[in-house]
Amino acid sequence: MSRWQWWIIVAGSLCLTFLALASIAGQKKNITIVWAEWDPAKYLRELSKGFTKETGIGVTVVEIPWAQFQDKVFTALAARDPNYDIIIGDSQWLGRGAERKHYVELTDWMKKNVPIKDIYEPALVAYGEYPKGSGRYWAVPAEADAVGFAYRKDLLEDPKEKAAFQKKYGRPLTIPKTWEELYQVAKFFTRPKRRLYGVAVYTGKQYDGVTMGFQQVMWSFGGDYGDPKTFQVEGYINGPDSVKALEFYVRLAKECMPPGSQNYYWSECLDAFKRGLVAMTMNYFAFFPGLLSEETNRYAKTTGFFMVPRGPKGHYISLGGQGLSVSAYSKNKDEALQYIKWFWQERVQREWARLGGFTCHKKVLNSPDFLKATPYNPVFRDSMKLLKDFWAVPEYAELLDSCQRHLNAAIVGAKKPKEALDAIAKEHTVIFRKAGRLKRQ
Amino acid sequence: MPVSVRQRRPVWKRALTDQQIKIAFITPTLLLLLAMNIFPLIWSLYLSFCEYYADQPESPRWVGIANYRALLTDPEIWHSFQVTAAFVFLAVGTEFILGFGLALLFHRSFAGKGLLLTLFLIPMMLSPVVVGLFWKFIFDPNWGIIDYLLRLPGFEWVTHPRRALWALVIVDAWMWTPFIMLIALAGLSAIPQSLYEAAAVDRASSWFKFRHITLPMVSPLLIIALLIRTMDAAKLFDLPWTLTDEGGPGNATETVSLLIYRLAFKMQDTGSSCALAYILLVIIIALSNLFLRQLKKVKGEL
Amino acid sequence: MLPMFSFREKLLHRLSILVIVVVLAIYLIPLYWLIATSLKTWQDIDSVPPKWVFRPVADNYQRLFFTVVTDQRGTRVVGTSEYPWRFLNSIIIGLVSTVLAVGLGTLCAYATSRFRVAAKDDLLFFILSTRMLPPMVVVIPIFLMYRALGLRDTHLGLIILYTTFNVSFAVWLMKGYLDEIPKDYEEAAMLDRLSRFRAFVKVVLPQALPAIATTAVFCLISAWNEFAFSLILTESQAATAPRTITSKLGSAGIDWGQIAAGAVLFLLPVALFTFIVRHHLLRGVTFGTIKR
Repeated sequence: MSRWQWWIIVAGSLCLTFLALASIAGQKKNITIVWAEWDPAKYLRELSKGFTKETGIGVTVVEIPWAQFQDKVFTALAARDPNYDIIIGDSQWLGRGAERKHYVELTDWMKKNVPIKDIYEPALVAYGEYPKGSGRYWAVPAEADAVGFAYRKDLLEDPKEKAAFQKKYGRPLTIPKTWEELYQVAKFFTRPKRRLYGVAVYTGKQYDGVTMGFQQVMWSFGGDYGDPKTFQVEGYINGPDSVKALEFYVRLAKECMPPGSQNYYWSECLDAFKRGLVAMTMNYFAFFPGLLSEETNRYAKTTGFFMVPRGPKGHYISLGGQGLSVSAYSKNKDEALQYIKWFWQERVQREWARLGGFTCHKKVLNSPDFLKATPYNPVFRDSMKLLKDFWAVPEYAELLDSCQRHLNAAIVGAKKPKEALDAIAKEHTVIFRKAGRLKRQ
Repeated sequence: MPVSVRQRRPVWKRALTDQQIKIAFITPTLLLLLAMNIFPLIWSLYLSFCEYYADQPESPRWVGIANYRALLTDPEIWHSFQVTAAFVFLAVGTEFILGFGLALLFHRSFAGKGLLLTLFLIPMMLSPVVVGLFWKFIFDPNWGIIDYLLRLPGFEWVTHPRRALWALVIVDAWMWTPFIMLIALAGLSAIPQSLYEAAAVDRASSWFKFRHITLPMVSPLLIIALLIRTMDAAKLFDLPWTLTDEGGPGNATETVSLLIYRLAFKMQDTGSSCALAYILLVIIIALSNLFLRQLKKVKGEL
Repeated sequence: MLPMFSFREKLLHRLSILVIVVVLAIYLIPLYWLIATSLKTWQDIDSVPPKWVFRPVADNYQRLFFTVVTDQRGTRVVGTSEYPWRFLNSIIIGLVSTVLAVGLGTLCAYATSRFRVAAKDDLLFFILSTRMLPPMVVVIPIFLMYRALGLRDTHLGLIILYTTFNVSFAVWLMKGYLDEIPKDYEEAAMLDRLSRFRAFVKVVLPQALPAIATTAVFCLISAWNEFAFSLILTESQAATAPRTITSKLGSAGIDWGQIAAGAVLFLLPVALFTFIVRHHLLRGVTFGTIKR
């Protein structure tokens, strides 16, 4: 290697070091919000420019990929990291954040500073309250979210397909209202020779994928995770209704989804949908804006949306969405609270909804502007009434991890549905015993 | 190091004896390793005997060998060890055969050799997480190129309970075969030509030359290459993190390192994860010792 | 470098090169696909079956530097991206830790190679054994230690860490090579009134250049691409690029074009460095097994 080559390397690295140092210098008052990496966080960046303009306080939105979001944030909290001022944490996190004192309690502050009566009640409970029914709040709703379905109008509303469906099943082809109907429609459109499959639902092991997809079927079939008072799980999660639900879900995934779809979560579902591989896809409403743009989805013009179907014993939908919590280790708590107060003004909420965020503000949610703005907004409003969530206890991460591994094993066929649910029941019982919630019989 | 000191050398410099140089040269490395490896190891050994959750305010509580006992009786842990062992065996085996084979082919002079060699090394320079993620795209049964090129539409790789491990082996071999090739080639290049010439005079067969000259001369380096790859493969973390979504499907490709991560950062069960880490460490050290013993043997030092 | 004697050997020679080229071609398909994906429009990336010939565009590279959202109102830029900053962090951390690891490793290797050291074999085994350590074994104590010392999310923290990971490998590789450099040269230089230290700098180091270059390549590759510790120990200030490259969730699914572009750009510095020192690589890896 000649001398000048060394010099280039040395000079280059010096320049870069200088640049880095220069960028660190010259900072002003700033708060850091941590959220997952997705479009709503990008809307929040846009929205927060208004806050900076009004108050002079800078806002940094740190986005962490969903697969690592939970591990990363709780690791930082365990380290008492002062880097994060506001945490936009998942609804299930509340118990852990509250009981392990990572979140600041907001109950009294909210009464004075946030228009609580304007917050849609189920959302306030879901994203803010812990323990449920106690009236103690640890977060203010930020982004409401729910699971819904997107579908291809050019397939489901095609007259030829409608006629063929009528002939085959003796009923008109409509948007599925029940899970059984969804299975029928999906089965009808599964044509491997034409590289077309019926549906894409959550099956993957990442974060809470398959659990969020399956639990709504379980509840709608009459099953449940357990008794929220006694923490008894045997006979609930592995009871006959839950087993039937999982058998149905596995059958749906096996017969009506593309090959290699056992690791699907939202991005894989979107990938399959916009490649024209599936006729319908499950997904969170937060991802629907991207499906309406011709710049990302070639079927944008013919994409429609519908609500998660009902089951034989009820109608439940998996809750998504997050609330704004203040980190107990933040050094800018006042500014963080100031931000939350600002965020919950009606005009800001209107702007939030306009940018693409899903608001929990009652007036905005029911305003004609909001309902007219996109084809999925009315579906979203109706879905909000049917939301249900996973355990929100501090041990939820262990519970979730257990569900993810065994449910995914059932999807790939490594375990029978009953075996998988029995294994989950066993592990959940151990976890609750260890936490002292479930007494030994 | 000033340059113009040859005439009037200051006292402190003249006094720099061999002894001082020795200490000055070795100490920084030793201190670094002590601070960053030995100290954490001792701490982690202590924690492995405790019940401790890093995100809870309670301090570690001594529980004796409870963590080890719980781990060693858990079938899930054995599953992880089996997965890791199978991966090490398959991946390192494949890399060795292909790498050594390629090195034998490469061992000749031709135009563009340096360029071809560098091209082979590129996959090794990519980040394993990125490689894992991108290979998921390549392996996809619907739009990936592997199934397309093999004319096997819909053939599942990373989502198949058994084939997922093979997918990991293929990708690992793609990344690291050139490493073994490079080291083997270095060994081959250093064999004195005179040995072959002497053999040619004796009209020795190609096989004889390979068996009695080439192999003994390169085997020390091959063993070192195998040792390095085995140690790294036993620690495998990044690749299954992205390629099979943290060890999926189910837990079909959950290596021990992934399990340690899961215990430590999903369950926040610091004590158990430290105990498991120690079990893995002991196994890896035992394994490496086997290699080192073999190395001494072929070098004739034993 | 076999001398060619017969027609048979010539044929073998040609055949070997042919096999190498064919294997290389197959071998490079995934790499071609990575580069091709980075230059495709999303329509071409999404195409089923895969598209081999396409019109290259630079969109993915441009967008690496911005954060964008796309919805029914179109695509809009909402800010700059973290990628350039994390790339910079990677350069600083990778470069400094490589220099440190190679430097410390060379010094330690020289001392153990030239001087009598008490319990030398044990010392060397200890140094080597730290290479066997699965990083996951020390991740928790290091995490707790960094938390206590305030080294989390700092450049210094990762630099120290990566130096530690690489230094044992550096010692091992350098010692093997230094053992093979005859002592006569530096002793001659010392007779010529050079101090031991100057003899080391002036005589030994230039001769050890192939090993230094090789060690640097390996240290750089491992520090450049490390993921697990960067994930656990950094938040935003000192985060390195591999994390950002893999996290490119677009408005509608995974943005494969972005991932590919990020990976290709991130590959360039290391590939370039390796290409520059390629002639040293083969001579540099000896691990003390080759008697000259």
